[in-house]
Formats: sequence, C-alpha cells, structure tokens
Amino acid sequence: MSGFRDSRLAALKAKIAALEAGGRADSESLPFGAADLDACLPGGGLPLGQWHEFVGAGMETEIGACPAAFAALAAAPLARRGEAVWILRRDDLFAPGLVGLGFPAERLIQVCARDEDEALAVAEDALSTLGVTAVFAEVEGVDLTAGRRLQLACEKHGATGFVIRRRPYGGQERKGTAGSAAATRWKIAPALSEPGPGEFGLGPPRWRVELERCRGGRTGGWLMEAEAAYTWEAENGPHPLRLVAELGDRQLAPAQPLRLSA
Amino acid sequence: MALVPNLASAESEPEADATALTALVDWSVRFSHAVAEDAPDGLFLDISGVAHLWGGEAELMADYRARLAASGVFVRCAIADTPGAAWALAHHGKGAEIIAPPNGQADMLAYLPPAALRLEPAAAAQMERLGLRLLFQILGLPRAPLARRFGQHTLTRIDQAMGRAEEALTYRRPPHPWFARLAFFEPISVLEDLQKVTFDVAAKLCERLEREGQGARRFRIAFHRVDGRALPLEVGLALAARDPARIAKLLGPKLETIDPGFGIDVVTLEAEAVEPISGRQVRLDARAEPAREDGLAPLVDRLTNRLGELRVWKSAPVATHVPELSARPGAPLESPRGWNPEAPRPLRLFRQPEPLDLVMALTPDDPPRQFQWRKRLHRVARAEGPERIGEEWWRGDINDVSVSHVRDYYRVEDQDGARFWVYREGLYEDGVPARWWLHGVFG
Repeated sequence: MSGFRDSRLAALKAKIAALEAGGRADSESLPFGAADLDACLPGGGLPLGQWHEFVGAGMETEIGACPAAFAALAAAPLARRGEAVWILRRDDLFAPGLVGLGFPAERLIQVCARDEDEALAVAEDALSTLGVTAVFAEVEGVDLTAGRRLQLACEKHGATGFVIRRRPYGGQERKGTAGSAAATRWKIAPALSEPGPGEFGLGPPRWRVELERCRGGRTGGWLMEAEAAYTWEAENGPHPLRLVAELGDRQLAPAQPLRLSA
Repeated sequence: MALVPNLASAESEPEADATALTALVDWSVRFSHAVAEDAPDGLFLDISGVAHLWGGEAELMADYRARLAASGVFVRCAIADTPGAAWALAHHGKGAEIIAPPNGQADMLAYLPPAALRLEPAAAAQMERLGLRLLFQILGLPRAPLARRFGQHTLTRIDQAMGRAEEALTYRRPPHPWFARLAFFEPISVLEDLQKVTFDVAAKLCERLEREGQGARRFRIAFHRVDGRALPLEVGLALAARDPARIAKLLGPKLETIDPGFGIDVVTLEAEAVEPISGRQVRLDARAEPAREDGLAPLVDRLTNRLGELRVWKSAPVATHVPELSARPGAPLESPRGWNPEAPRPLRLFRQPEPLDLVMALTPDDPPRQFQWRKRLHRVARAEGPERIGEEWWRGDINDVSVSHVRDYYRVEDQDGARFWVYREGLYEDGVPARWWLHGVFG
C-alpha cells in the first residue's frame, strides 16, 4: 500500500516540477561546484531559464556593486556560451572592472533605459532573444505581473535573468512587494577579504551570500569569494565563485525544510 | 552640295544628341546641383548662391566655357534673373557670354526678336506678319489685347522672362540607385494601410537588393501626402539586411507618428549604406551557437531604434592609462578585448569623482585610515596601493605639463568589507592639505 502511495507522490511531484518549469521538462541548472550550496538549489545548481533576484543592503541598495559583482560571476559561465545584455538606469558599469572579476565583457551589450518600465520591457525583449543567455537588469523592483512576464520571456529560449535591485540615488525606498515570481532571491553583502599567507593588501573579493528564497529548494547562508579575480586566469576556472565557509549564524538564515510551492 | 563641294555632312542623330545632353547635364552638377535639361540643345543651371565660389558670375561663366571648350564643346551662356531672360540672351543675344545685371533684363531683351520668348510657332508667325520684329514693340502693348490675339501662353512667357511669374524647372538629380516607389490610385490614410504599403515598398526594394547580392544598413521611407508634404521616417540596422518583414517591423511603431492629412498617394523607400552581403547557410549543427543575424542583430536594431543609438553599446578598450577614458562605448555587435585583468578596476566607476571628507592618513603618502563619504564614516581595515596614474602629458600643450598632475590610487576595504577606489590628487606639498576623492566602488 505504501509503495503505491510513494509512487503516486513521486508522480505528483514530477507533475508539479513540470508545471513550475513551464512545460520545459528538461530544466537545466548551473552548479556552483560547492556541494553545500548546490544541495540547497533545485536540480543541484542555479536554475536556468528562470530569473533570479539579487538585493543588497545599506549603501548597496543605491550603488548595487556587490549584488552586481556576484550576479556577474554567477552568470559568467553562461555569458561565455552566448551573449549577455546588461540593462542600466545609470551608466556607471565599468567594463574593465568586470574583466578583472573574470566576466567576459566582450560579450556584454549594455543598454541604458530611461525609466523603470522601459528597463523591464528591454529585459523582457532581451530574454526572449535567441542567442542571449544571460540578461542583467538593474531595477527598483519587480511586481508580480512584471515578474510573470519576465518568466515567460525566459522560457522562450532558456535565457536566464539576473535582476539586481537598485534604487535611484536619493529616491525613496519602495515598499517591498510581498510576492515575487523569481526563482531565487539572494542577499549579497560585502565581507572582509582575507589575503593569502605572506601577502599584503586585499585578498580576493568576498561576499556574505544569503539565499533568502528558493523555489523548490532550501535557504542558506555562505561566505563566498571570487576564485581568481584580478589575474589572467580569471577567465579559465571551472566556476569563478568559490565557497569559503558556511555562515554559522543560523539566526540570519534559518534552514527550512524542503518546501514545494504549488 | 554643288555650291560648296567640300561641305562636311552628317546624319542627324536625335537620340545620340539627347544622350550627350544628359551627360552634359550630369557633368554640370559640379557647378551647381540644380541643373535642368532644356531639350534639344540647352540646359539651365541655377547658380543662386554658388557664383562666389568661383569669384563671381563672370568667372564662373568663363570657367564653365573654358572647361567645355577643352573637350571640344562650344557653348553660348547667359546669366539673368529669370530662366526665360537667360534663355533669350543665350539664344539670340550678341556674344557668347552675356550677363544681365540684376533687374536689368528688360533693357537687354528690348532689341531681341519675339522668338527669344520661346513662343508657340503660331504666335511667333503671327507677330512676324504684323510687323512686330523686336520685343520692345510687344512689351509696351496692353496685356488684355495681347492675350486675346496671341494666346495666354504668350503672356505667361513674357511674365516669366520679366520675373513676374514663376517658372518651374525640372532639375535633374543624380540617380539614386537604391530607391523604390509605390503610387496609389486612391490616397490612403488608415494605419493598417500604411503598415501594408511599408511592407510592400520594402519588398520591392529588397527584391532588387537580393538580386544584386546587396544589403543596406539604413532605410529611409517617405510618405508623400496629397497636399505635397513628404513625411520621412528612418531606421538603422546593426548589420546590413534585406528582409522586408524586418524593415517593416522596425518602421511599424513609428508609423503612428505619421499624420496622413487628406491622404497619402505616394510612398518612397531609399536604402543607404548599401554593402554586399552573402546569403546565409543554415547550420547543420543545431546545438551550435545561433547565428547573430537570427537573434542578436534584430534585438540591437529594435533597441537602438526605440531608445536611440547612444543608449545601446558594448564597451571597447582604449589604449590609455586614465581610467575614465579607458573604456568607450563601441558598436554593439563587435567583440573587443584588451583590458588588463591584473590591474584592479572598480565595477562602478563614477563619472565625476566624489570628494572625501575627514580623511586621516598617517603620513602624506599612506593610504587613508578613515574617510567620510556621503555622510558616512568608513574605517579602513585593509588597503593596497598606491597605483600612480599620471596625466597623458604627450597629448596636451607642453607648457601645461607638470609633475604634480598625478593621482595616487588606493584600493581600500572598510570595516564591513566594502571596497572602494580612492585617490589623492597631486603630490605632497608642505602646508597644503591633501585632497582625496572616491572614484569607484568594487563589488
């Protein structure tokens, strides 16, 4: 009897997973290469063909440098496979800085949008374009309708969206919307770097990474650093991000049991 | 023939004459772009505003005749206020180079025969029979009987010669090779019709482009209204193309701005920046990277046409040490490389460096220990540097060069781990407080 129940449950789970993937049964994922982190994500890696949200805290909500750097590194293997589009509201993204982190800037088209709606419309257009694998959008927020539209655009050709939440300088903080259509939400904060033994100055850039929301997976917190920033090897590693440690403070990011949202 | 045995004779060849005249008209464009053919043996050149380039009307005319004479063509020229007066003086005036002073054509024309007015043969014969041999006899006559006897056309010709009536000349334009035109029996004005004719005219032009293996990067469409106004629209493409559906799609959103008025009866499409493009081969390997023509190029076209050309770019390297100049916006479909990944550069570079307050540094050439930026105090935990970047003295004036035009950049990390790119301006001087700036933020 229990065998019958198990098989029915498995069938239902597969059905729900297929629904979540929007009809694409073979939803791909991009592993980070760290077992701890990959285990939290559905499919053992960053889900592709969906969009992800990256938020900063404090000063970073206006500058958005850390979320942008982390998103760029998470997407670098994708950008090497195709083309990337970065949609900005302020054109302060500096391509040599991306190259130093190990992102292939020669494959990145930058677009400066005039307002929030235009940024989202361009993101949607870019996501549904053949040959574009990663789309970065710096916007203030994505409501449920816009999020759903982005998701549909992602599903067209399997492009992956990286939404970096950034509010304009001096602008009022917008009330965060309760729901979100994003597959995952990451909170990125800077962390003190650790230079190698016998070295001076700064170590490779490090971030406190919190997976705040993950559809079909678990949340968690980690300390991560760029694998080979500011070296010629930056472009050749298996994955440009390296897990340094798991964040011990469980209060920050309580682990949740496996949760399926249907 | 019997009287002059050595007379050289040749067959009349009207077609060859016409071809030669057309060639002469095309050649005359070097003097003024407004050239009108006057078959069978003349041409009008509108030299308004161009004579000074030759030093005056007389010099222009002398140059024109000299150049033609060098090729064995001998011509008579006249310059006057109106095409009619110039024609009369060139055909019937005394001398091969005549210039009528401004508003002085009446006196010059007075002793010319009536034929100088380009009259209809019947009217000219009538005047001859009545003994009107010279123009001053006609010009003095009252207008109403003149029109009754010789026809309205005669009056028009007189007015045109005297500058009292406009004369329309059909100027010859250098032929534009990539051009398509559609005229409609009934004027159109509905948006759907405009969309349809946009596609139709594009298909017409693209068929020609395809036949000759060409594509264009810029298309200009013009809707000619019934009242004579032309409403132009333009689209640019990142890669040369000749797909009518794509061109029509790019033009589509702009059609709403067209005000058809009482209707549009002609639509024209011009292709510019035409270059050869090869037909594409479909890839056998479906998993390979998709061709740029399929996805990326149309995306770039859509975005540049919607947002403007300056808002879509791909950063391209510039060989310079000055950070803010080392990246320039380049064409979106190129793949430039060339930055040194070993030189740490910030992810966000401010266009204007922002001043830092309350900077504390142990010694003048030490990195700061703390600084205040945007009303927040940052304590520096780690620092790296300096990287001294000097001005590009070889670009400016030699007198402006100074050793103090340098910036010492430090990469610093504050107590939370936020990484900044700060610099101290100039060299240390006794008694002058150092000025610090924040130029960018690392991720």
